[in-house]
Amino acid sequence: MAKTILAVDDSGSLRQMVVFSLRAAGYQVTEAVDGQDGLEKAKGQIFDLVLTDQNMPRMDGLTLIRSLRGLPTYQKVPILMLTTESSDEMKSKGRAAGANGWLVKPFDPQRLTEVVKKVIG
Amino acid sequence: MTKEKLLGSQVQHLLSTLSDHGTQHLNEVETDLVQTSFLLGEAIQKLGTSFMAIHEAIASQQQTIDLLLSGATLTPEIAENLKARHGEIGKHVNAAVTGLQFQDMTGQLISRTVRRVIGLREVLGGLSAGSASISESNAEEIVATLHTINTVLEEQSVKLESALWKAVCQTHMESGDIELF
Repeated sequence: MAKTILAVDDSGSLRQMVVFSLRAAGYQVTEAVDGQDGLEKAKGQIFDLVLTDQNMPRMDGLTLIRSLRGLPTYQKVPILMLTTESSDEMKSKGRAAGANGWLVKPFDPQRLTEVVKKVIG
Repeated sequence: MTKEKLLGSQVQHLLSTLSDHGTQHLNEVETDLVQTSFLLGEAIQKLGTSFMAIHEAIASQQQTIDLLLSGATLTPEIAENLKARHGEIGKHVNAAVTGLQFQDMTGQLISRTVRRVIGLREVLGGLSAGSASISESNAEEIVATLHTINTVLEEQSVKLESALWKAVCQTHMESGDIELF
């Protein structure tokens, strides 16, 4: 059975690229348009991995991670940030919030797939 | 200090503050627009290159398929050639996917620029509103009004700057770093 991934990003074009890349690698991808939408979808289904942007309306990525880590079902689910933010300060905040990795945009589909495979198989 | 000198000092301070903060915001606008232009230019170049490379690989693949359809035997060389073209197409599609992400980054930069321009317009609007009563005031009142305008102008400008966190520092469409914790 295909592994499931929740892709959270307010940019439609970016989500399209993430979905294209990960579906081609055999993953089942669900999209969320911001952190709030991502949290609601995560409450309805336990995904194998969450891939989230940082700067989004309604709820940003760090808040989403903190909220997910507060749920018993998401304490061990890998969460990766995929963002334009590249400062060490933001990475530290992500790590402290409970992120398992930090990917800086733009992403290369092959490298993204390799990382996802390394994290969830 | 005489009233005239006090007045002159406040006017000078106001013009200087307006110039400094206006210049600072316009410099940021210029930087964001130049960065947007770099990213767009590089993305279009990458996408154009990928498009041509994919077209060439598909044309080459089609030639091999036509050869097979005309009755040629599938030799290991032909099979290898088809496999190589397939790999080439995949590589260029990946490059195109990286290039296509320009909209996300340039969109953020343009949005930041628009918010700054709106904020600057509001600051200038406040300046106009604050100075509305000056023509009917005496020198002391004018000095007090200019002092208030100065304070508000600086506060609004600093508030605007702090609200516009720069999230996109990339100047190239090369894929970014990956770090697993």
